[in-house]
Amino acid sequence: MRLFAPTLNGLSFVMELHPFFTAQRVLIVAGKGGVGKSTVAASLAHLSARSGFRTLLVTLDQPANGLVTNAQLEHITVSPGRALADYLATKGLGLISRQLAKSGIMELVATTAPGLDDLLVLGRIKAFEHERPNDIIIVDGPAAGHALDLVRAPVQLKRALGSGPISQQADEVLAMLADPARCRVMLVTTAAITPVTETCEAADELQETSHIALAPIVVNKCNPDVPRIDEALLLPSTRDAYRYMSQRAAAQADAIGVLTDSLEEHQLHLMRHRADGSALINALADDLEQAIREMS
Amino acid sequence: MSMSIVDMCTSSRIIVTCGTGGVGKTSVAAALGFEAARLGKRAIVITIDPARRLADAIGLGEGLGNEIQRVPLESTGELWVTMLDVLETFDSLVRDTSPTIERATEVMNNGFYRSLSRSLSGTRDYMAAERLYDLYKDERFDVLIVDTPPSRNALDFLESPERLARFLQHPIVKFLVAPSRGGFRLVNAAMQPVIKAISSVVGGDALTGAAAFLRAFDGMEEEFSRRALVIADTLRSDVSSFVVVTAPSPDALTEADHFVSELSRLGIALKLVVANRMPPRFGTATADDEHAMAQTESGDLAVVHELIAGLHDDANQADSDIQAFIGRTSATFPAVSRAIATELPTDIHDMDSIAALAQQLAAPPTRQ
Repeated sequence: MRLFAPTLNGLSFVMELHPFFTAQRVLIVAGKGGVGKSTVAASLAHLSARSGFRTLLVTLDQPANGLVTNAQLEHITVSPGRALADYLATKGLGLISRQLAKSGIMELVATTAPGLDDLLVLGRIKAFEHERPNDIIIVDGPAAGHALDLVRAPVQLKRALGSGPISQQADEVLAMLADPARCRVMLVTTAAITPVTETCEAADELQETSHIALAPIVVNKCNPDVPRIDEALLLPSTRDAYRYMSQRAAAQADAIGVLTDSLEEHQLHLMRHRADGSALINALADDLEQAIREMS
Repeated sequence: MSMSIVDMCTSSRIIVTCGTGGVGKTSVAAALGFEAARLGKRAIVITIDPARRLADAIGLGEGLGNEIQRVPLESTGELWVTMLDVLETFDSLVRDTSPTIERATEVMNNGFYRSLSRSLSGTRDYMAAERLYDLYKDERFDVLIVDTPPSRNALDFLESPERLARFLQHPIVKFLVAPSRGGFRLVNAAMQPVIKAISSVVGGDALTGAAAFLRAFDGMEEEFSRRALVIADTLRSDVSSFVVVTAPSPDALTEADHFVSELSRLGIALKLVVANRMPPRFGTATADDEHAMAQTESGDLAVVHELIAGLHDDANQADSDIQAFIGRTSATFPAVSRAIATELPTDIHDMDSIAALAQQLAAPPTRQ
């Protein structure tokens, strides 16, 4: 039996991560500012690639700081500001698009149809899903507060625009968003009551209103548990620090309790690390791996 | 000459806080409002953040809409709060600027208008400027504290008045508005390819709806643009103070640097940097002392000493990162002041914690 143990371990390793990374082709990572959404997206891409999945990380107008790309892990930046011009170019309207841009009319079109950029960004992601060989496409969602706008855009534009090529694009994007085998949203929060409340609201809206499936919720920047000790063992000057840490740990436990009571999705808890760049990405990928394994 | 928080709260008509999400910007805006009220001013805090953070922080919970609400305080001044409701603001703007009630109804029943005013992205910027104009002209308030949305593009609203004015004066818009031409079927030869290109993208229906909206809107746009430009000028003048709020984390500081350079690009003077959510300092022991104590202890007590050593490390790191940021910012804005507030073990959730934050901000910064 011992002889087979390493192989079995290796096999079970793949089996545990496999369902997580193959549950959907497109994983949109979303969260309010300050929760570390972009770092979580990069760490997830790093983990997915090192676990043997051909991974594409898509960021919106943002560099992927500290991410080391290779044949297994590609990175593409999509620019919402240029989405309309890019879209026109793919429709064979490159010349007209350049003229429109020069005369300031591009801006006018974008003003006429707010949310157009958002829709076209989702359209690009749908095109990646269709055309590219990657096993998983991880999207570092739009900047804080904007994730819901992004997924609302297709419905709003359809209402505003009636028929036409954009409306058709909106239908295709909506089909992708509504299919849990194709696309899920991974919400990232920290273990404090304000971001947790907002995460619960976002989860409700995504599921109830937009019919978008959720991946497990990431709780980032968790502080370590503080052991209960007799304060008398500490120097008076150290007691304040101990009380502060204990209060902080209690507030964290409360916030996680609210999240658990409100949402039935699994939670992936990641620690707060004193590192940045690729060291942080490695540390978070390790946390993610452990949390995903404990999930099953 | 750097400016104290007291000076800022007593001499400004508008205070704008900007910063990325998670730095406690809304709490700082509320604390500045509290401080202004304490100094006898009638202050109103307006947030254009769609998440109801301000409402949470001051215990108002749900139901804080476009209407203004007074926060009960024992001070000589007054503190009011309000949120930006895009739809409500747009509707009241249309009612205020349209020549007749019939015209207002026509605009508000237009399908294009309804989706334009309900969609959040671009319209929010215009409406923020419009709402500011209203409150700026409102004689019930001495000082407006504006909490910008927690986004990289938060300062877009500063340029939205010019953008809107440009849009409304654009030849294509003027053309679509012109009632005598009767729609774009009769467009002149020069316009034809442009109209065709636009409708190939957004579809003919959208353009018809937009044209109908713009025609119904005819005549209102002048007043619309005028108000937008008044507020744009006011924000750039001496009566307005801009504040950048940051936390000591590397990602927050990257965003804070971005806001500093945006303000510089827009030709707006930055008056104050708030270093918020700073890790607290405890006692005189150092991280090394705590590491040493962890060595001599065992079990839970050793763990606690290691954790406390970590707190000291955090405080040192935060101090040096903030110091470097203030150095960079002073190179661009030599007169900038700073204020420091430490992170509380729990989220800011009531008026007492806002008051405590205001007190920290008003104290002279003592940390290095």
